[in-house]
Amino acid sequence: MTLRLLTLAAACLFAVSAQAVTVGTAAPDFTLPDSNGKAHSLSEYKGKTVVLEWNNPGCPFVQKHYSSGNIPKQQADATGAGVVWLTINSGADGKQGHMDGAGANAFVAQFNAKPSAYLFDGDGKVGHAYGAKTTPHMYIIDGGGVLRYMGGIDSIASSDKEDLGKATQYVPQALAELKAGKAVSVATSQPYGCGVKYGS
Amino acid sequence: MRLLAASLLLANLLFAAAASAVETVPAQVHSDHISVSLLSEHDALVPGTSAWFGLRLQHDAHWHSYWINPGDSGLPTRLTWQLPEGFSAGEIAWPVPKRFNVGELFNFGYDGDVVLPVQIEVPANATGDSAHVEVQAKWLVCQEECIPGKATLGMDLPLRAVSVGSAAADAIDAARHAQAQHGLWKATAKLVDNRIEVTLRGANLGDGQGIDAFAVDSKVIANAAPRVEQRDGAIVLSFAKSDYFTTAPHALHLLVLPPGAPAVDVRAFFPTSS
Repeated sequence: MTLRLLTLAAACLFAVSAQAVTVGTAAPDFTLPDSNGKAHSLSEYKGKTVVLEWNNPGCPFVQKHYSSGNIPKQQADATGAGVVWLTINSGADGKQGHMDGAGANAFVAQFNAKPSAYLFDGDGKVGHAYGAKTTPHMYIIDGGGVLRYMGGIDSIASSDKEDLGKATQYVPQALAELKAGKAVSVATSQPYGCGVKYGS
Repeated sequence: MRLLAASLLLANLLFAAAASAVETVPAQVHSDHISVSLLSEHDALVPGTSAWFGLRLQHDAHWHSYWINPGDSGLPTRLTWQLPEGFSAGEIAWPVPKRFNVGELFNFGYDGDVVLPVQIEVPANATGDSAHVEVQAKWLVCQEECIPGKATLGMDLPLRAVSVGSAAADAIDAARHAQAQHGLWKATAKLVDNRIEVTLRGANLGDGQGIDAFAVDSKVIANAAPRVEQRDGAIVLSFAKSDYFTTAPHALHLLVLPPGAPAVDVRAFFPTSS
């Protein structure tokens, strides 16, 4: 109870911030098309935990976490437990990693990835609304629409697969804590990776 | 064509493997958009003294690598030393970096030709004719797109009672003097709504026009340039709070860059009582 009050107090303190999004406050709603042309809104997943993953298949950091199987496994585990996992590409037309739907589906198939959907945000509006800076950059939103985690995929900023074994994977850790009704122990971390390839 | 490229690559790998088997690690490698080499300030190592080494990074035009705080994206260059028993290497003495803005992302790093200096202690009881100094360097080189690289570089240096400067001495010396100055200014920091204000006091602060500042530590201030104002004879730098700020540290470690003057290393102390 005390913890909850503290969390609420922290949320109030942060509410005055001009930051894009803040842990403990409502995550902005959005609607984006997926790789098969279907629209997805954050609000349609109310009641479910949602993971947002910023993606650029051409980025070496993204490749580290896909070719090692790290992100595909996290996706499979999360979606298997009823979590909605939305992979988002904010790469502008002509920039690295910008793709069409078929390209995204081929990428997903290549790594046996298991996102609920692969979404396109070519004008960068959703990326900007969330303050997404890197690929990967991760966000977790609870069933009440409140942001519970924002930051890096894990605790060791590197492009080397050999560092994966030593790193704390923040998303599965936070998902497990949320499921158990616990406070998220690491609710923000510094993201690392390539810059999101927004249009100019 | 692709097969030829693959077999050439394989031949290179085999050659590299053979080379490492006989412990001849190169002192320089050419990689994607960057050449990386290991330099020694002196032609020999003297037991009981410290010696400066340097990792030289020569970037292709428009490409850059990163400082200890890379900013919104990127990765700092990292060095892991393999040294004879009793030797020890310090941290990189990071030269003052530049600001790189790609779109709305802010980064700190180096372009052109830069040397990252490192001091190595040679123990007084070092014995033998020579010592093998080896480093594994990992870097990320970016224009807008990024390419990670790594290399193992090494050199054998004689152990002698005296040494003289090597051909690389000037480059290492220049890098050692491209450091920020310490202790020039007093600084305090405080949280003001969603911003962090750093107040600087001291000689030769000027009017603050054109001043920039980079945080050495991440997770405190955002990486955009500060707003600057004069207030009661002090210069106040106002930064947006980092998106990943959780609690204020004891002090914010900053490099302050006045235009046309050397950078200053500053620790801005937050109030001790909360």
